Amino acid sequence: MALVYRDPFEQLQTELDRMVNAAFGTPTGLYPLVNVFDAGDAFVVKGEMPGVDPKSVEINVEDDTLTVRGERSFAEPARDAAYHRRERGQGKFRRVVRLPGRLSSEEAKATYRDGVLTVRIPKAKEARPRRVQIETA
Amino acid sequence: MAEMQTQTELEAKPKQKVERREERTRPGAYFQPAVDIFETKDELVLVADMPGVPPDGVDIDVEGDQLTIEGRVRTEDYEGLKPLYVEYGVGGYYRRFTVGDMVDREGIKAQLRNGVLVLKLPKAHQARARRIAVEAA
Repeated sequence: MALVYRDPFEQLQTELDRMVNAAFGTPTGLYPLVNVFDAGDAFVVKGEMPGVDPKSVEINVEDDTLTVRGERSFAEPARDAAYHRRERGQGKFRRVVRLPGRLSSEEAKATYRDGVLTVRIPKAKEARPRRVQIETA
Repeated sequence: MAEMQTQTELEAKPKQKVERREERTRPGAYFQPAVDIFETKDELVLVADMPGVPPDGVDIDVEGDQLTIEGRVRTEDYEGLKPLYVEYGVGGYYRRFTVGDMVDREGIKAQLRNGVLVLKLPKAHQARARRIAVEAA
């Protein structure tokens, strides 16, 4: 049997694709869209929000809920400019995401890179996975 | 949830997957970036949302009257993450435009910042294929 090479990212892409097309599809009326990941001892929430000034973004974590607020706005081109296409939206946004477990909110960290917001929120200590050793008699 | 979203003015559009006809060595999904295109007296400006693409991850090709933009996302950001809840797929970006004879191919400038590609295509008359290097932001 021939070996088929599939890199881990390709497997993840396939998995994301399958999940986004399952039951719910893409929700409407929300910004940004988010993906929630389990990173073992933390939850990682990613949201695509290209061209947003990170200084305009406010992130709050309270109990099991993450709230992201901000605004996407860009300079209008010169008055004599004529649009051929206009597909990119701007405006204020507010997104509330409930996470499936208890959080250690004071340790939450957020980064904004290449237009993607990543919020990493450690799970509450008692909710982190723990390996239990078997005691031998 | 509905009453919690009253401030939302910006709405995310579902990412449109693109099928590419030509053979590719790189596997995985490609999406169509949302673009604004406007024209001023001196230039044509194309702005494309490509969240997740670093400044060195974009290729711009002009061949004949075809302008092609392609972006690749950084895959290492997803190592060790198990998807729990998914609203959008992750992959590259690809889109092709017909620019005609109006563009001076030698003078094209590209900049990618916070996941937004800005391409400035000065107006002129010339016809010759070349590849454009992207200026890091």
